Amino acid sequence: MTLGTDYGMPHSSTEGGQLGVSLLEVDNVTVRFGGIVALDGMSFNVEEGHICGLIGPNGAGKTTMFNVVSRIYQPTTGSVRYRGQELLNVPAHGIASLGIARTFQNLALFPTMTLLDNVMVGAHSQGKVGFSRAVFRLGAAKENKATRDFAGDLLAQLGLGALAFRPAMGLPFGTLKRLEIARALAARPQLLLMDEPASGLTHGEVDELSHTIQSIRDQFNLSVLLVEHHMSMVMGISDRVVAMEFGRKIADGTPLEVQQNEAVIAAYLGTSA
Amino acid sequence: MKSLFTIREGGAANWTLRVITMVAIVGLMLYIPTKWEAGTLNTAIEGLTYMSAAMALNLVLGYTGQISIGHSAFLGIGAYTTGIMVSRWGFSPWVTFPVAFGIAFVIGVLISFPAARIKGVYLALVTLALGLVFPQLATWKKLAWITGGGSGLPIACPATGVSRSCEGTEVPTTGFNIGPKSKGQMQTFEIFGWNPFGDLRRPDNKAAFYYWIALVVAIIVYLACRGVVKSRVGRSLIAIRDNETAAAVMGVNLVRTKAFVFGLSAGLCALPGCVTAIKTGGVSPEGIINMTVRGAITFLIVMVIGGAGSLAGPVIGGALYVFVVDKTGTWADDDKIPGVLRPFFAWSEIPPGDGIFAVLLILLMFVAPRGIAGLWKQYIHRIVRVIPRPAGAIGATPAMATATATPTSNHEGEPQ
Repeated sequence: MTLGTDYGMPHSSTEGGQLGVSLLEVDNVTVRFGGIVALDGMSFNVEEGHICGLIGPNGAGKTTMFNVVSRIYQPTTGSVRYRGQELLNVPAHGIASLGIARTFQNLALFPTMTLLDNVMVGAHSQGKVGFSRAVFRLGAAKENKATRDFAGDLLAQLGLGALAFRPAMGLPFGTLKRLEIARALAARPQLLLMDEPASGLTHGEVDELSHTIQSIRDQFNLSVLLVEHHMSMVMGISDRVVAMEFGRKIADGTPLEVQQNEAVIAAYLGTSA
Repeated sequence: MKSLFTIREGGAANWTLRVITMVAIVGLMLYIPTKWEAGTLNTAIEGLTYMSAAMALNLVLGYTGQISIGHSAFLGIGAYTTGIMVSRWGFSPWVTFPVAFGIAFVIGVLISFPAARIKGVYLALVTLALGLVFPQLATWKKLAWITGGGSGLPIACPATGVSRSCEGTEVPTTGFNIGPKSKGQMQTFEIFGWNPFGDLRRPDNKAAFYYWIALVVAIIVYLACRGVVKSRVGRSLIAIRDNETAAAVMGVNLVRTKAFVFGLSAGLCALPGCVTAIKTGGVSPEGIINMTVRGAITFLIVMVIGGAGSLAGPVIGGALYVFVVDKTGTWADDDKIPGVLRPFFAWSEIPPGDGIFAVLLILLMFVAPRGIAGLWKQYIHRIVRVIPRPAGAIGATPAMATATATPTSNHEGEPQ
């Protein structure tokens, strides 16, 4: 498989993207786990300021795709570029400082820490105090205060202010999902990867979440890559939708285009044949 | 749950409590060397050694969640660095402290690299191997040219220049001779006849002098741990303990952070080793039991009973450990057991200290998995609640002053 064969020909040129500037370019990515092909030549772009939905039936490879972008899985072949920079050379801990943050499907919070501390860890990539400066308290107190205030602002904005000093352990699922978003925002990302943010939420909470995602996109001026099962939510807020099945892209376009796509309908409902 | 008092963090009441605690701690620090006998003072020195080692271990185990049963080796490295430098090469014992820190730091970092790849029980086994091999290496015949082999190395008493461990042998008399050497005396410092640093005048009362060295080391270790814990790095350590993947996504460099924390912990653990070497008047695995695996287990017990993942925990644990061991030291003889307790401990043919801690460990697993410090935090807010400082847009209200049972909360280790 040749790398980056269709680089320079963004898929968005004909559909979707009005802004036309690709923030994230996923190009021909293949992931194999032993004999299983989890991703088979996936390519798509996320454009600046867009909310890009990634949909597909269970096992389509959405979360695998997601973990490739957040550098948890190393693809067998392919290329992932962020602002033109090859992400596959960046270690997992390096992407936060590039401006990429993510949330986790099944919550990956720090349960013994308070909500405030959770968000403060989210701002880790923004900080500078290392071991030697910490031991000698050189600027540590100042940095702590700045980070703490920033984290407090974010919590307040997501309506978690009253719980700020509680440990994350034992709080309701919906609350913790919002905490994940606050923690991701603490990295001041330009690209926010959200892995099934609506899963496990009630109807009311999903509506609220849609609103939250749109408002943080506008307010923090970021792009969102959204992996989601909740179809009405994805179709409601996405500027562009990429549909997957069996590790391949089957459709890519505006929500309306994807909804009417034959292959997508077949994947979700089965073919009549 | 209503609490009796509600105070604001950083407010006048909070500061009053802090000052009272500081005064009490400093008072205790001065009371011990001035009023205690040399024998009891030795127990205090031992306690400070356990506190320092357990605090160092706490960074790795309590905060970062990396199991180590080999920290005794780092204490041993500290002791042997002092022993070799003073005895072989005639350095001043003071110089050996930073050198011991450096050597242990490097070895700690090297060990952390495999440690970063392995987890849980496997890491425990690797560090256990380190703890087991250290006394073997120290007594290895082929290394005897530097370590002194099985008989170890003598160190001159820093206060008098006289070695305790090998009488009649010529030993270097470098060291901390304070005052005129010919009189074998140290200088004194008195305020209206009271000597705040303890009685250092008599050459045989060196205990007070060692006490001060041990105390300064313990304070240095505490401040280093506190600095790390209450910073961006400290939060990243807890993040690694709680969820490694998430920590990496937040930008925490796992390998580097684990290497540094292991190195720092090893370096800090070497410092009480230097103190022990100086106090013992020589180094050998038989002479310093804490450099064998037995020591590593003790550090572990001290840390867990006091409270893993808390700054005050190892201090409480160390004090409790030496208190119990000291009080029960004579209980092998049934007549020495106080009347009420006799039925409980009369069966024991040896001092029941270890047995008491065994029971205590099991009890703590059920009652307070976070040790005594955790228990304290759990119940203290029934008396005093501290409202945290506002953070950004969050103005704290009394309703929010919940017990934050986290090691990173801003009022860690302070009295509330």
